[in-house]
Amino acid sequence: MNEIRAKITDIQSSDNLSVLSFDANTQTMRLMALGLNLPLSLGSEVLLGVKSSNISLASSIQGELSISNQLPCNIESLEMGTLLCSVRLRFGECLLRSVITKASALKMGLHEQQNIIALIKASDLSIIKIFPTSETKCD
Amino acid sequence: MLHINIQKTLHGNLGNMELDVAFHIKEHQFVAISGPSGSGKTTLLRILAGLEEANGEIEVGGETWLCNKTFLPPQKRGLGFVFQDYALFANMSVAENLLFAANDKKLASHLLELTQLKELAHRLPNSLSGGQKQRVSLCRAFMRRPKLLLMDEPLSALDPLMRTKLQHDILTLHKEFGTTTIMVSHDPSEIYRLANRVIELSHGKIIHDASPKELLLKTQGSQKFSLTGELLEILKSDVIYIAIVAIGQQIVEVVIDEEEALRFRVGERVQVSTKAFSPSLSKI
Repeated sequence: MNEIRAKITDIQSSDNLSVLSFDANTQTMRLMALGLNLPLSLGSEVLLGVKSSNISLASSIQGELSISNQLPCNIESLEMGTLLCSVRLRFGECLLRSVITKASALKMGLHEQQNIIALIKASDLSIIKIFPTSETKCD
Repeated sequence: MLHINIQKTLHGNLGNMELDVAFHIKEHQFVAISGPSGSGKTTLLRILAGLEEANGEIEVGGETWLCNKTFLPPQKRGLGFVFQDYALFANMSVAENLLFAANDKKLASHLLELTQLKELAHRLPNSLSGGQKQRVSLCRAFMRRPKLLLMDEPLSALDPLMRTKLQHDILTLHKEFGTTTIMVSHDPSEIYRLANRVIELSHGKIIHDASPKELLLKTQGSQKFSLTGELLEILKSDVIYIAIVAIGQQIVEVVIDEEEALRFRVGERVQVSTKAFSPSLSKI
């Protein structure tokens, strides 16, 4: 599970459904959740989680995308398998991993040090930890 | 409606245990008592029924069933009891079993109709299936129009299909009569479907008292789909890893990262979670 530290900037709720906005490395991120009964408030620091297989990559984007989270990253390393490719991404202080098909990686010509956008749907993002207000160090 | 505050020392396999339980139940409530074996669930039910003595007080609908001066015998408590093993009279027909509890033909006929047992009214219990027998003992428990219905794992001896049918019958009867009910159960789906409150016991004490959803919905942060299992194996496949996890009677596969593959050990208890958005349902 990839972990991204973020701060809550907005909470919107309707019935059982919530959409939360975050600030992570100056980027706005968004998460949708059902029945959020966690002790959350504006300014709370949380750890967001996302599976490697739920991170898509784009080298350049044209037009509008419905995907809420578009994070500018830099490729630290690539591991090519037979069918899949595991890409290590630097997003500010966080290291993320995206698993895509080898065919996509080759088609996009991915290489180390390349700037790339990591795409994550709001429904694929989850809150895995809430930091006590005094705790500020990233772990 | 019901107020209980009882203490009793129980002598079990693991030495003495102090059963010490106090709670209130409102009229018409359906309360499930859950907890591991030996936590005191059945004893609590038997104390309520007057089948065992204890220190403390029990008051039901303004009537004292137990206090230091009073011990109301079981037959005077106006309660219904459904056991796991039916406890029907083998030499009496279905209808006679009901009428033995209270001679009210109209009510017997109504109950048999509600639970679709009318055609079986003249059969002897031995000619019935387990599910049918339990439906008869359920009807019989309602014959005295009890103030309180106690059920001790009433459906645990039945197969899943029959269990669902019986759950439906219990709901129908509860709706019709509004009888305040306390049921001992281990089955989360049964508790969720039937009860509006769960009291969980451990070592003779109440450790949780909440709604079924609050108690049974296992969550991991904002991940609402969460199951506990045992990690059986981690396989490498291409650049990813696949964890094989046993959950109940099923085996599932979960794709994990290299870091996770290194962090987990085979045989460990693990929680498998995902967002409620990800899983899909299909009919079996």
